[in-house]
Amino acid sequence: MVRTILRPKLLFVVLALALLVVFPYLYRVPGMPFLSSFRNFQATRFAIWLIVLMGLNLLTGYSGQISLGHAAFVAVGAYFAAILMKESGAPVFLAVLGAALLTGLLGFLIGVPALRLSGPYLAIATLALIIVLPQILKHPSIDQWTGGVNGIRVSFPQVPASLANNLKMNSDQWLYYNCMAAAVIMTAMAWSLTRSRFGRAFVALRDSEIGAEQMGINVSLYKMTAFGISSLYAGAGGALYVYQAAYLGPTSFDIIFSLTLLVMIVIGGLASITGTIFAALILTFRVDITNFVVNHIPYGSRVGIDPLRGAVFGVLLIISVIFTPRGISGNIEKLKHANIGGKFAGLHKRSDRLSQQKDAEASSD
Amino acid sequence: MDQFIQQFATGLSTGSLYAIIALALVLIYRSTGIVNFAQGEMAMFMTFVAWSIWNSNSNFWLAFFIALVIAGAFGALTEMTIIRPVEIGPVLNPVIVTVGLFTVLQSAALRVWQGEPKFFPTPSVFKGAPLKLGPAAISRTNVGVFCMAIVIMLLIYFFFNYTKLGLAMRATAQNRTAGRLVGIRTGRMLATGWALSTMVGAVAGILLAPVLFLSPSMMDGVLLFAFAAAVLGGLDSSAGAIVGGLTIGVVQNMAGTYIPNGSSIDITVAFVVIIAVLLVRPHGIFGRKVVQRV
Repeated sequence: MVRTILRPKLLFVVLALALLVVFPYLYRVPGMPFLSSFRNFQATRFAIWLIVLMGLNLLTGYSGQISLGHAAFVAVGAYFAAILMKESGAPVFLAVLGAALLTGLLGFLIGVPALRLSGPYLAIATLALIIVLPQILKHPSIDQWTGGVNGIRVSFPQVPASLANNLKMNSDQWLYYNCMAAAVIMTAMAWSLTRSRFGRAFVALRDSEIGAEQMGINVSLYKMTAFGISSLYAGAGGALYVYQAAYLGPTSFDIIFSLTLLVMIVIGGLASITGTIFAALILTFRVDITNFVVNHIPYGSRVGIDPLRGAVFGVLLIISVIFTPRGISGNIEKLKHANIGGKFAGLHKRSDRLSQQKDAEASSD
Repeated sequence: MDQFIQQFATGLSTGSLYAIIALALVLIYRSTGIVNFAQGEMAMFMTFVAWSIWNSNSNFWLAFFIALVIAGAFGALTEMTIIRPVEIGPVLNPVIVTVGLFTVLQSAALRVWQGEPKFFPTPSVFKGAPLKLGPAAISRTNVGVFCMAIVIMLLIYFFFNYTKLGLAMRATAQNRTAGRLVGIRTGRMLATGWALSTMVGAVAGILLAPVLFLSPSMMDGVLLFAFAAAVLGGLDSSAGAIVGGLTIGVVQNMAGTYIPNGSSIDITVAFVVIIAVLLVRPHGIFGRKVVQRV
């Protein structure tokens, strides 16, 4: 038992979880006042984006189905949750669960037309979802539920009295624990899913659809399942988003955000849980990262770099894709292999070469 | 009936805007196999370059041709500096780089030329009273855009099918290794592909500027429909880009006119039609199915 815990990877996970548990109270520790309530807000957002990106990585990274419309499922989940909370007064937990399941079902069904499409055609078809969604949400036939252009306001979360009294927990901290618990559970689910029959099937149909079919994998069913699970994650993330933001409008999630989601999982690392965590970190702190870089560019203020924040962000994206083509998690893997050195060094070089060859073939198809 | 014809003609005018950007997308897809998200922003940027030149000497055609040369150089340079390093690698990486380029160009244009729309001159051929086609009236600029779209389509068709360079570029896009083996300088071909598509984009931008008003966000409403048009027609078919663009323009206009409350649902109808067509023909109307050897 002790030995198992001392395994570095497991130890790391345990420590990380412990950090997540104490995080909202860390600001009281002397020397840590920078962990303001805004950081708590960002940590909550991180948990939400982690769920959303995990779903997209299951679909695009593991199953190889590109989706530019993931934000549409986030929005749908958020609307389901907001309507459930508002109209039926359902408790938050049930509203989030219900929204996730409904969005998952919707995604599963949208997987049907997606079966026939691939590559750029699938990309544009999924992009269509987020393009048309605002028009649908604003349509007069359903605006009594969606609130049309005005959107929906839901009430702010209430901390259970016992926690508020005993732990002096405020509503931000309560939100943090709700979202982070969901994120940890759903990450663990994704981790075990990728190591299950489903995960293997997803990877098989990504690498060779015909090959997967020959192995007896029901390609249609697994593709639809991939869409379903990914939408379930998106829906849960959207539901938690509206719980935190307490407001939702037809343009809360736009096309740019939808594209950003895909960009983030590529930068974090496709088909990797660690990569998705990095992706969620970058998505949460993208403004802070850009500001940091902008403030540290020499002579920046003299050439008027300030309005060029978007450009700086774009340059960072390009640089990161060029220098870490397999994402941050891919780079970590590489470093690990480099450290082994010695008798395995040759072996890894060979496997590196092989994978490069494979990539070259894949990109020339 | 008169209303129908007028709406049809308006639809064709809108559609030709989509078609002409779609042509640039088809061009780059055929020559490099990449879907370029920055296409619209590149066109916008080059139009601003043309505007700046026109502003300093007020000669439209001089500005037009200098902008074309700059566009070509810019396209080739883009390919060589930021696209080539990610070519050998996961397939999504070039797409992400074009998204990055999108942000860079939009932000840079906003910084250099500011947000408010600029006046852009119409070439004198397109000036004058709207043309009458039976009961419908179409502005000369729209007719010009339509004709240019057809001309560019024919040029692309002949270029890819009847010139050696076009053949070499198709070979490069299809199979880089085989292309290199038969002596094609594949790197140069890819750079040429980017240069040509940026030039087509620049022509499109300059033609559209008087209609859409020149501003850093001028392509926002067009680019997505151009994508849809290219996909609807088939990403490897230049005729498809025209047919796709015109279809979307007409469907959008008709839905806006004839469905009650139509303007609040026209985009949805257009995309429902696109998806319906794609379900029957998954590679677009004129696209060819890629047969893979296992």
